[in-house]
Amino acid sequence: MTVPALRAVDLTKRYGHLTALDTLNLDVPAGEVFGFLGPNGAGKSTTIRLLLGLARPTAGRAEVFGVDAADVASAHQRLAYVPADVALWPQLTGAEILHLQARTGPGTDLAYREELVDRFALDPSKPARTYSTGNRQKVALIAAFATRAPLLVLDEPTSGLDPLMEREFRTAVRQARDRGQTVFLSSHQLAEVEAVCDRVAILRAGRLVDVSTIEDLRGLHRSDVTITYAGMAPDLSGIPGVEAIESAGERRLRFTLTGEPAPALRALAAVEVTALTMREPSLEEIFLDYYGTEATR
Amino acid sequence: MSLGTLPAPANSQLASAPAPGRAVTWLAIRQIRRGGLLVAGLSAGMTALVAATYAQVMADPAAAGSLQALAGNPAIRTLFGAPVGLDTAGGFTVWRVGTVIAILLGVWSILATTRITRGEEDAGRWDLLLSGRLRAPAVLLRHLAPVMAVAAATATAVTAVLLLSGTAPTGAVLHGAGIGLLGMFSVAVAALTAQVFPARSPATGTAVAVLCLGLLARMIGDGVTALGWLHWLSPFGLLSLSGPYVHNRVLPLLLLAAATALITVLTLTAARRRDVHDGLIPAAAGRRPRTRLLASVETFAVRRVTRPLTGWMIGIGAYYLLIGLTAVSVTDFLRDNPALAGDASQAGFEGLGSIAGFTATLFAILAMPVGGFVTARMTAFLADETDRRLTQLTSQPITRIRLIGAEIAVTAVAAAVLVTGAGLATWLGITAIGGELAVDAALSGTWNVLPIVLLSLGTAVFAIGWTPRWTGLLGGLPTTGGFLLLVIADSVAAPDWVRDISPFAHLAPVPLTEASMTASSVMLAVATVLTIVGVAGYRRRDLRS
Ligand SMILES: Nc1ncnc2c1ncn2[C@@H]1O[C@H](COP(=O)(O)OP(=O)(O)OP(=O)(O)O)[C@@H](O)[C@H]1O
Ligand SMILES: [Mg+2]
Repeated sequence: MTVPALRAVDLTKRYGHLTALDTLNLDVPAGEVFGFLGPNGAGKSTTIRLLLGLARPTAGRAEVFGVDAADVASAHQRLAYVPADVALWPQLTGAEILHLQARTGPGTDLAYREELVDRFALDPSKPARTYSTGNRQKVALIAAFATRAPLLVLDEPTSGLDPLMEREFRTAVRQARDRGQTVFLSSHQLAEVEAVCDRVAILRAGRLVDVSTIEDLRGLHRSDVTITYAGMAPDLSGIPGVEAIESAGERRLRFTLTGEPAPALRALAAVEVTALTMREPSLEEIFLDYYGTEATR
Repeated sequence: MSLGTLPAPANSQLASAPAPGRAVTWLAIRQIRRGGLLVAGLSAGMTALVAATYAQVMADPAAAGSLQALAGNPAIRTLFGAPVGLDTAGGFTVWRVGTVIAILLGVWSILATTRITRGEEDAGRWDLLLSGRLRAPAVLLRHLAPVMAVAAATATAVTAVLLLSGTAPTGAVLHGAGIGLLGMFSVAVAALTAQVFPARSPATGTAVAVLCLGLLARMIGDGVTALGWLHWLSPFGLLSLSGPYVHNRVLPLLLLAAATALITVLTLTAARRRDVHDGLIPAAAGRRPRTRLLASVETFAVRRVTRPLTGWMIGIGAYYLLIGLTAVSVTDFLRDNPALAGDASQAGFEGLGSIAGFTATLFAILAMPVGGFVTARMTAFLADETDRRLTQLTSQPITRIRLIGAEIAVTAVAAAVLVTGAGLATWLGITAIGGELAVDAALSGTWNVLPIVLLSLGTAVFAIGWTPRWTGLLGGLPTTGGFLLLVIADSVAAPDWVRDISPFAHLAPVPLTEASMTASSVMLAVATVLTIVGVAGYRRRDLRS
């Protein structure tokens, strides 16, 4: 069996009384684009800082391709990182920062870096103090995507990018995956996660709530079903997975369906259904389900 | 930290408080109050100490007369200011510590002002303030007022101490007012340079340079009678023109007040005319990459130290060149007035009769600026961590030992460069004027303070590893703290063991005598242990970003 790109074993971080991360167990297989989601203060950045050895775990351990995260000289040979809040050396220009990163980093594809500078429309001759938030983020993104490190760890990398650059970002993530790089992406942009991620983990209040593919997440969730019927109304009471049945007008019925649809379909087959619409929940709705129930910290 | 006891952070107050201005003032006060209290306390303490020792120094009836003779020597005037009015406790105090306090307050005012104005703006924290109801000049003014208030508080404290010591009220008020005005002048100058330059370090550097030039102008004006008019161009010169306890002139202080007001108005006008994050001098639009020294952590540490090292070297070098140039004149004068040499030693300057003794005394002081330099460098390294710039390097395959090790090594080498430069400057000055001091004697004298400097570096590293918040204070402890402890212990005749805590108590007066191998080795050993323990702490703690 191949080693996972990232592994957390009982990973825990406490700040005084606050448990920022509570016994996280997580494997991210190599080659995957992995989304990491959760409300503000859920512990996403804390997890990433533990995975990078920037903070020390209170308990448990983290591994990067089988190497202990605390051994940064070896673990960081295999990864590149874009922090949530990029701060650059103000006196260096973008080009100088990219140069420093390339010379101290795990190896950079210089031709691809030039291409990325073009695609992200960055002017690298400017001193970093004159860069806007988005431009600072671009410098960090270009430096990370240009490395040949097998793992990219990105913490909310697109919060300052405009839609055009967001598109370039998604392209770059896909190209990274095509090259076989693993991407660990923490994000609040659900559309972005939906577009690029193979699997997602959901963190709430320091605890892992769920890990699954986006399709499975959908499947686990309620769909809105509306039917129009002729003749007798169907009897849906007591059917497993069917809830919130209500009339939606003359000979129309609306209800929500969770899980396997077969029992509900059998019940509907008993009457004459003339129309049926099913709406999958948006990712937003799924997350509101996850996030909303417990107040964030 | 003391901030823990405070009400909610200022930006949350901003949102709801009816008076946004007051919240901004409060925010500014919180950023400077600790240092402000320290500066005011130190100023009052030093004044009280010297005023109290006056009676002791003057116990010998012949002393008053011979100290008066100091006034005739241009070199003494150049280095320590014109010794006028030494026949009163007030006049003596003004001469002994007046300039030191003025420099302390001036430098602190500049650092505090650029830190809470340009520094905060650089870090992006003013975007929030300036998006509120207050306009830029109002926000700026509300940041300048608290720093100026610290100057006023220092002035009040110094005056109160002098009054309580029983000195003449006019002199006490005038001296206090002069020091306070110099502080306010420094605030105004720093605020102006913070508008002119789009970054904190050139703003600080220029303001410090203005202050240094003022000091230099006063020194030259004191030393060369024909250039006495230079006093009118220098804030320090204006203070000495006011002549507390002797001439008691108000006009020079009014002039300083007027200059301060004018610069403040200019500053506020400039603040109105420029954009946030910009200066009147625009940031360089773009340039070709200069990739020299960007190949590794080690070379990058060298690149970051070069500019500050140059600035410190110019300042320290100029001072020691001046000492070299005046050494022959001072020592000749003191040799011809043996009674005076004795008094001078009581007044805190020992062995001034020979060039070797004179330079040895002044080389000991070198530990303070160089200790300040290493502390400033380690504080800057910590700021790179807290401001998250260092994340770019900590996320690379670079161990923390290598990261901080490079910084420590480069800082130690830079400190060695500074003491070497100071030794060479002294030697150059003495040789140029025809005096006798071998270059290796000068160098062994300045290198002799390196163990104390490394002790400072060691405590700073220890603090970074275990109590990052106290890095600045702990780093300055062996040098500035040690020196003050020695002076205070000597002044109040404290028991020997108190005096012996200070590293300066063990510093041999090189080149007057041989260096003490034991003392140097012990200090180096302690410095090494502190460094190792500090690095170990830095390795295992969370990064603060
Ligand atoms: N150095 C620290 N000291 C104390 N508490 C901390 C520290 N760092 C993080 N926390 C706390 O840990 C919790 C998790 O924070 P974290 O930054 O990981 O959240 P996040 O999921 O990244 O949130 P966001 O989406 O807002 O970035 C928060 O409650 C935060 O206040
Ligand atoms: Mg975060």
